[in-house]
Parts: sequence; C-alpha cells; structure tokens
Amino acid sequence: MAAATTPTILDVYRFDPTKDSAPHYQRYTLDLAPHTPVLSALLQVRAETDPTLALRYSCRSAICGSCAMQVNSKSRLACETQVGPEMERHGRIVIEPMRNQPVLRDLVVDQAPFWRRYESIEPHLILDPKHPMPADRPTSMTPAQVERFQETPRCIACAACYSACPAVSADAGFPGPMALAKLYRFVVDPRDSASTERLTRIQPNGLWLCLRCHLCTEACPKDVRPSERIRDLKELAVAAQGGTEPGSRHAIGFKENIRERGLLNEMKLVRQTDGVVGLLRQSGQGLKIWRKKPEIARRPHPIEGLDEIEKIYAALDDPKEERP
Amino acid sequence: MKLAYYPGCVAQESGKELDLATRWVCRALGIELAEFPTFSCCGSGFVDEANEVLNVAINARNLAIAERAGLDLLTICSTCQGMLTLANVRLADPAVKGRVDGALKPLGIEYRGTVKVKHLLRVLTEDVGLAAIRAKVVRPLDGLKVGAFYGCHLLRPADEMGWESGEEPHAFEDLLDALGATPVYYRGRVMCCGFPIQFVKAETAQRISAHQIDDAKAHGADAMATPCPLCHISLDSFQNRAARTVGHALDMPVFHLPQLVGLAFGATPAQLGLPRHLVPTDAALEKIRLRAAP
Repeated sequence: MAAATTPTILDVYRFDPTKDSAPHYQRYTLDLAPHTPVLSALLQVRAETDPTLALRYSCRSAICGSCAMQVNSKSRLACETQVGPEMERHGRIVIEPMRNQPVLRDLVVDQAPFWRRYESIEPHLILDPKHPMPADRPTSMTPAQVERFQETPRCIACAACYSACPAVSADAGFPGPMALAKLYRFVVDPRDSASTERLTRIQPNGLWLCLRCHLCTEACPKDVRPSERIRDLKELAVAAQGGTEPGSRHAIGFKENIRERGLLNEMKLVRQTDGVVGLLRQSGQGLKIWRKKPEIARRPHPIEGLDEIEKIYAALDDPKEERP
Repeated sequence: MKLAYYPGCVAQESGKELDLATRWVCRALGIELAEFPTFSCCGSGFVDEANEVLNVAINARNLAIAERAGLDLLTICSTCQGMLTLANVRLADPAVKGRVDGALKPLGIEYRGTVKVKHLLRVLTEDVGLAAIRAKVVRPLDGLKVGAFYGCHLLRPADEMGWESGEEPHAFEDLLDALGATPVYYRGRVMCCGFPIQFVKAETAQRISAHQIDDAKAHGADAMATPCPLCHISLDSFQNRAARTVGHALDMPVFHLPQLVGLAFGATPAQLGLPRHLVPTDAALEKIRLRAAP
C-alpha cells in the first residue's frame, strides 16, 4: 500500500555564477510521502522539473557524506532527513548549500578550505622511526585503548559540523570541529609518537577558539560528538602542558579562582588570564562596566563550607592525582 | 512551589539586576526561593575543560545540598543549567561516580542523583504554565518585537540537556507570546554569544556577538532577551566593543528573561535593575509606553 502523500514545498537556493548576479530561491511543490528523504525530493525535481539543479550526492545511505546541506538552517545529510517533520515544523523546506564554504553553483560548495584545515592537523599516524610498524604482523591495541577513540572513526567527513560552526565563520584560525575531533583521535592513539608535538602545535593554533556551543554535535550525523572530543583535547593539553596560551591559562585560572572562594572573582580572573598588560588593555571597558555595575571590582564573600571545596580539589586536582 | 535557588556567580555580582528581577517575578508568582550560602560556582564550562571529574564533583556537592533539603534546583543561567545537568548525566557513568564519591564520601556528602535541575524558563513555561503567566500580565508587551537568545548550554547537547530541540526550540518564544510581545525568529537565536572566548580572542568573540545582534535586527527585533547572564555580558556589557570591531552601530537593548516577565507583570524598570544595563533600554520601553527609570 502506498503511503499518503501531502504537498511538500521546497524553496531551493539557486546560484549560477556564470549567469546570476545574486542567488535566488526557487520554489518547487511536490506531492510526497512524509518519510521521503530531502535528497529524493531534490532528485525528483531534477529528473522531472529542472535538470539544471546542481547538487552533490552519491550513496543515498548516509555513508558517503556527499549530500550535506542546510535544511531549514540545520546542517544535515539530505539523504537521511525526511520531508514530513520539516513541513510540519516550518510549513516549507528551505534548502541551502552548506555554510562556511564558497558556493560553486546551487547546492554545491567548494570544499577545498575544509580539506585544507583538516590536512593542517596531519591526520595520519606519525610513527617513531626507531619503532616502525612491524611488516610481518598486525599491531594490536587493548580494548580500553580503542575505546578512547571509538567515536571518531565513525566520521564520514561530510562537513556538516564545519558548516554549523560559528567559530569557523568568525575566525580563519579555527581548524573546525572535524579536524579537532580527528586530532584528538591521533593524540590518544597509542601507536602515534607525536602526541606531545600535536598538543603543543594546536594550543596556539585554534584549539582554544572552540566556543563549546555544541552546534557541531547536533549537526553530526554519526554521533562523533566533535565538541566533546575538543573538550577532551583541551583537558589533555592542560594536563600535559599547563597554561601556555590565553585559553588554557583562562581554564586553569578559572579553576584556581573557584578554589579560593567557591565563587568567581571576576576582576582577578581577568588578571589570571591576560596578565597586567591585558588588564590595562581592558581597563577602559572595565571602567565603563564598573560605573553601572560596581560589583565587578568587589571580591565575592567566600561560600560557607569552602573547606569542602578545598578537600575536593585536594582529592581530584592536585598533582599526586593521576589523570588520563 | 519551593525551589533551591541557584543564582550563579554573575547574578550575585555584575549581573545583580538578573537576581533582582528573578526575585521580583518569583514573589509575584508565589514561587518560594530557598537560599543556600553553601552553593559554589558551577565551573562555567572552564573548569570542565581543565578537569572534568573535578567539575562533576563540585556540582555533585551543589546537587547534594538541594537533595538534602528535598528540593529541585532553580537556575537562572544557561551555563549553570548546562553544567549542573551535565553533572547529573556524567554521574550515571559508574567510573565517574566512583571517583566523585571517593572525594565526597570522606566529607560526609552523598548525592543519590534525585535532584532535577530546572532553568527559570522551564519553570515558567512548564510548571507555572503559560495560562497562569497570561493571567498575571497587567501590562502586555504588545508592540515590542523581541528576539529570544537562548544561550547554548540551555539547549545543547540536546540529548543530555533532555528538554528542548537543540536547534529549533520554542519555549522562550511561547513565553514572549504569553507576555504580549511579538517573538522574532532568526537563526542567531540558538547560536553562540561569543562569551567563552571573550578572554581568549576578544575580536573573534565580538564578531560573533555582533553577528547575532545584526541577525536579530535584520529580522525586525526592537530588543533581545536572554536567559543567560553570560550571554548578557557579551550582548550588552561588551556591545560597544562588538560594534567597534565590526565597524557599525548595533544599538540593541538586551533584557534578561525575568526583566521582561516583570515588566509585563507591572514592575517598574528600576525594580528590575534596567538602569544597570550598558545599552540603554529606553527605546524598547517606549514601545510599551514606559519611561526609563531616572
């Protein structure tokens, strides 16, 4: 029995740089069953209505990662996003190319910058030349070792995370969620000999620009959870190298700040992060805020039970504590 | 209704107006706030980056304080909401729970995992309910177009926060509608305010906050409103810097969520701490026929 169909409105981003001075949206209305994938709808448009519609796709099974695009502003694989829920929620389906990558035509983007940022993290095992991989037998890892990076091999490099990321939009120095999640994977791989160098290199090169907004984790079709892998990477960097950058200094400074009174001491945190020069640089702004909000210059009262905080820190944060 | 009130650090200091407005609104709705001077900072996402288990442990301590009193926890900050919820989630992992218990047990602290962490937005829309909110409105905010700005940690990761859609929430807009305001839908409403890197790379943070303000404005917002005092710092306290960074004026008044509820319930701008904002709210207040406090 065929499923009931309903009118489905697609508003599709169209842009042909050889003809158009600006992009426009073209509306197609199709009768579709609610479980129809957005990709199938687009292919039907192309087959039956408009053969000029350009899009990238291949496997149609959420494996190849080719058909990532924006569906009602969310970065998604078109092949696994159904039309029904989108129509229900929005009354139409706006389909646009991925963000953060230049549009070549219609829904096809230039992925070169995405791949360049990925390559910048050297996404391959770096072996110690003194201990090459044995040629005659496979290397082995314990289940616990493999478990540490069980999510990242699922990545299909669809770039949905890269498209969803506000840090990528705002800063060319940010490698992007996928690149950092993959970097994490090599840092914790026991066969890799460059973990320390990788952490040293990434700290001033974008690690601390992650906003932990978790938009990448929402966008990822394979549950790699890039934002959580980036958090793991930050913790590893702090544990291995301490506060070498404004970002790691801020995280460590914040942690120490809370230990003193149980609550945040805002002014002190600025000093801990940026040093005296930073404080002077920010003092104009600090004064403006202080006039309206004089509490920023006040040290908070210590909480009651501060001794408990101290003991929790002593148990879980002091150097004797062994950390992964 | 009685809740353990977890104001968070900022609302006790530079964001005091948020605390004022919360207390005013809760009084008006008969929500009793139990206070605990023992509560510590939630770690604000930064301690989590430096030491995950430590961060879970300090929040397990916070949660245990509410549990001993038999109360659920009320937060007024998206980040506090996120960090305390995350502690509940991570404590379900026996390895994490074991290490945290190992630190807490010697202090006589036990957390059994029974406390629900609820942001004010959720309490207002679910526990109080929109009908009861509507019934309290004496000064409808009609004529005011408001862009809600959620704050990431209230929503995401959505499977861990266990409440709204991570990218297409509607609770805040529902609340604005109940107050008589016109909610403005724009992509930036679920985006980042830039706060986490305000002290790492200010220019990038400010480009991000300016982008969301511009987006709200392009969709017709007269004002923005946020349930998170950290977003408020980015959007209000540093708005002048953001404007300088992007090279154009932003001029966007930004309310804390309970301030708009308070205005609709008849509070004066001064009672809600509006004069403490860096960006004047006068233009928005005029839309609802109110004059700014002297």
